[in-house]
Amino acid sequence: MSNVTLRIDEHTLTAPKGSLLIQVMLDNGLSIPHFCYHEALEADGNCRMCMVEIEGQKRPQIACNTPIKEGMIVRTTTPSIMQTKRAILELELRNHPVDCPICDQAGECSLQEYYMEVGLYDAHVAKSDKIHKAKHVDLGSHVVLDQERCVLCQRCVRFVHDKAKSADLVVTGRGATSVISAVGAFTGNGYAMNVVDLCPVGALTSSDFRFAQRVWFLQSDASICHGCARGCNIHLDHHAIKGGIDTLYRLRPRKNSAVNGHFMCDTGRISYKSLNENRLLEPHVEGHATSFSHTFSLLRRTLDDKSQTIVALVSPHWSLENLASVKLFCARFEIPLFGAHEASIEPSFADEWLRVADRAPNRAGLELLGIDVSPHARDRALSRAQVVLDFGHDATLSSMSTRYYFGTHPHSDAQMQLPVAAYSEESGHLINCDNIVQHYSGSVKRSEPLLSLHALLGLLVMEGAWATQPFWHATLIDMAPSLEGRL
Amino acid sequence: MSHDLVVSARFGIANSHTLIVAQAHGAYTQLSTLLAQPPQSLVQTVIDSGLRGKGGGGAPTGAKWQLLEGQAKPRYLVVNADESEPGTFKDRHIIEHDPHLLIEGILLSCHALEAKAAYIYMRGEYRFWHDRLQSALDEAYGAGILGAHSCDITLHRGAGAYICGEKSALLESLEGYRGQPRLKPHRPEPEWLWGRATIVNNVETIASIPYILYKGAQAYRAMGTKESAGTLLFGLSGHVNRPGVYELPFGMPLLEVIETYGGGIRDGRALKAVIPGGASTPVLTAEQAKNATLSYEGMKLAGSALGTGGMIIMDESTSMVDALDNLLAFYRHESCGQCTPCREGTHWASSIVHDIARRQPRSDALPTLKNIARTINGQTICVFGPAVADVINGFLRNFPQEFA
Repeated sequence: MSNVTLRIDEHTLTAPKGSLLIQVMLDNGLSIPHFCYHEALEADGNCRMCMVEIEGQKRPQIACNTPIKEGMIVRTTTPSIMQTKRAILELELRNHPVDCPICDQAGECSLQEYYMEVGLYDAHVAKSDKIHKAKHVDLGSHVVLDQERCVLCQRCVRFVHDKAKSADLVVTGRGATSVISAVGAFTGNGYAMNVVDLCPVGALTSSDFRFAQRVWFLQSDASICHGCARGCNIHLDHHAIKGGIDTLYRLRPRKNSAVNGHFMCDTGRISYKSLNENRLLEPHVEGHATSFSHTFSLLRRTLDDKSQTIVALVSPHWSLENLASVKLFCARFEIPLFGAHEASIEPSFADEWLRVADRAPNRAGLELLGIDVSPHARDRALSRAQVVLDFGHDATLSSMSTRYYFGTHPHSDAQMQLPVAAYSEESGHLINCDNIVQHYSGSVKRSEPLLSLHALLGLLVMEGAWATQPFWHATLIDMAPSLEGRL
Repeated sequence: MSHDLVVSARFGIANSHTLIVAQAHGAYTQLSTLLAQPPQSLVQTVIDSGLRGKGGGGAPTGAKWQLLEGQAKPRYLVVNADESEPGTFKDRHIIEHDPHLLIEGILLSCHALEAKAAYIYMRGEYRFWHDRLQSALDEAYGAGILGAHSCDITLHRGAGAYICGEKSALLESLEGYRGQPRLKPHRPEPEWLWGRATIVNNVETIASIPYILYKGAQAYRAMGTKESAGTLLFGLSGHVNRPGVYELPFGMPLLEVIETYGGGIRDGRALKAVIPGGASTPVLTAEQAKNATLSYEGMKLAGSALGTGGMIIMDESTSMVDALDNLLAFYRHESCGQCTPCREGTHWASSIVHDIARRQPRSDALPTLKNIARTINGQTICVFGPAVADVINGFLRNFPQEFA
C-alpha cells in the first residue's frame, strides 16, 4: 500500500494510505484523547473523544474513523476543537464519581489524565443528580465492575466478542442507565482479565490486584511469561515497600504483534504468585538449612568421587543461558545429561488462541542446544543412577538414587537443595513455540543472595565468566550457530 | 382537492386486509406483467417518479436503489416497520388496512433490486399489526404469490427500542445484536445485512411502489410539488378536532390541512405551535406555521423539516416547557447509550428541563442546556443526537419567554 503525507498541527507525517488517523497519531507519539479506540479492536467511534478538525470538513471528525489521505491537514488544538473536546469530556464526567483518591485505577486512568489536562473543576451538576449504579459487581474470573465509573466505551464487550469469543459481557439497559453486565459467570474463555487492562478507567479492576499497591510505586520489567511455550510478552510489576521484600504484584501483557498481540491468558497472569510464595531461599542438606560453602564442598566431593554413577536431568523451563551452563557443567564432569520432559505437555491447556499444550517455555531452546531428549536413554540411565543432579526436572527417582536439586522452589525428595533465581530475578533468552528467540529481564531483588543457575554453576566450577552475559552470548552461538543475530 | 390515493385507496373497504378483498379491488393484478419486465426498467420508473423515502429522511428512493448496482448477490430488501417516532402512526394503517399492498410493493421492489429475500422489521409494540401482517403473508404464501419462485418475506418483531428505527441499528438488531447504530460509511454505499448489500426502505415507501409501477412515473409526479412528488400519509394529532391519518399530495398549506382535515383546533382555541413531522422536527410557532406548506422544501423554508408528516398540534393552553419536558423524557429513555454526547446529553438535558418545569432550575440551567444541545449536534454516530438538539433549540428559539 502506498504512503501518503499529511499534516497534523505542526507535524508532517508519512504513513500508509488508508491508515486510521488515530493510529497514525498514536504511532507517532502524538497525544489524542480516546476511550473506545484500541489498536487491537476495531474502531467503534462511541466515545467521541478523539475529535479533530480536518481542513475542508464542516464538522469535527473522530480520528478513529478517519482514514488518512494525501495532503490531509489536521488540527487538534484550535480553540474550537478544544471546546468540543472539553464539552464531550464534561458529558463523560457528568455521571462519573470524581473519586480518584480512592480509585484503584488512579495513576493509569485515561479519564483522570484528560480531566487533569482539561481542568473542568467546577461541576455544573449537583452530586445528587448523578445516576447511581452498582459499585461492586463481581463478574467472575477476578474481574470486578464498578458501574458508576464505566464510560461505556465497550472495549470489554468488543474484546470478549471479537477476541476471546466468549461473548459473556454485554451492555444492558439503555441511554445513561446502560451498564456492562455478565451473561452468567464471566469467563472470557480464560482471557477474562484482559478486560482490566483494556478498561481505560477504574470500572473493571482485578480483584487480585486492586488495593494491593498504588501503580505509581510499581517498577516494571520487560519479561516473558513462563507459563507455556507461547512466551507471551509481559510486564512484571513489582515493588519493595520500605524495609520489605521486593514483591511481584501483577503481570500484564506487553504488546508484541508477532507473539501475543496485546493480550495474555488468565492462567499466565496469575502465575506470578508462585514467584513470591514458598520459595527455596537457602541451601538445604537432608532437610536442614545450611550454608552455600557447606553444600558446595559436599557437592564437589560427590562430583570427584568416580565410584558413583551420576546422571543429570534438566527441564525446558530454563533460559538458553542456564541450559547452556548445565550442558557445560555436565560436560566438564562427564555426567550424562538428559532433557526429555513429558510432564510439561498438557494437551488440555491448549486453545485456539494463545495457549499451547507445552507448558515449558523453552523446549525449542533445549533441543537446539543438543541436549538429549530421548526418554528411553534417560530412563535407562536413571535406572542405574546413584546420584541424580536434578536441574528443576522433578522426575520420579528409584529408591536407589539420591537427588541433588537445583531449583526455585523446595523439593520434598532431595538430599541436597540449592536455591536459584527465578525468571523474575534474572535475564535470559527463550525460544517459543514458533521458534522466535525472546529476551526477558527481571530485576526483582530478594534479600537472600539468589544467583542465576548459570552464575551458581560458575561459582561451583570457579569460572567467573559464567556470571557474565557476553560469555553466554558467545557460548550460545558457539553451541548453536543458528542463534547468530537472534540473541 | 382531488388526487389519486397511492397507499390508502383500499383503506375504506371492508376486510381490505384479506387477500380475496384486496384482489377484488386490484391488488396483484399487474404483478406478473411487471415481474416479467427487466429489473432496471422498474428502477428507472422509480427514479423518474421522484419518489422520496417516507420514513422521515426524504432521500430519493431511486438513487438509493442504484447503490445496489454491481453488488454481489444475494442482496436483501429490508422494510422498516419500526414506526415509533412520536406523532407518527401512518405505517400501521397500511399494515392494518392494506397489508397486501405492502406485500405487492415488496415483491415488485425485490424484483427491481434482484433480491430473493425481504425482511420486515416491525416495532415490538405493534403486536396486533404484526399478527395482521403475518396473516396476510400466510395468505400470500398459501396462494403461491410468495415463495421460492418469487421471493421470501420474513416478518421480524423488534423488542421495543426506538433506535431500531435507525436503519443501521435496525440491521444490527435483525442480525441478533444489540440495536446500536453503525458508524457511517465515508462514501455512498448500500447497507449491509449479514455482510450482504441491502436496501432499507420505509413501509409507506414500499407501499407506494405498486401505484408508481402500475400508473407510471408521470402519474405519481403529477401530484405534489416539483421537489416533493406524490403524496404522503399525513398524521394529525394533538389539539385538533379530527385527529387521524390523511393521504394528501405534498405542497398543501399546513393551516389548511389542520382546518380542512383536522377539523380545526379543539374548543375553538387558537393554534400555538406545530411539530410538523414527528417529534424530531423543530417546533413551529403559529406565526411560522401560517405560510408553511407541507413539502420537504416548504418545511425547510418554514424553519423545520417535513420528517414523517406526523403533525403534533398544540393549542394556546399548552405549556411549551411541559411539552419539551415530555419530549425529552422520551429521548432520554430511548437514547441507545452507545455514544457519549447523546447518552449523557439527552439525560442531562431532560433533567434540566424537568427542573425548569418544576420551577426549580439551577441558575445556569439555560446556558447549560444550550451547551448540551451544541455538543450533541453533529457529534454523534447517528442522527438521534442532532434531532434532540433540534428539538431543544426549536423550543428555546421559538418560545424563549416560557423558559426564562
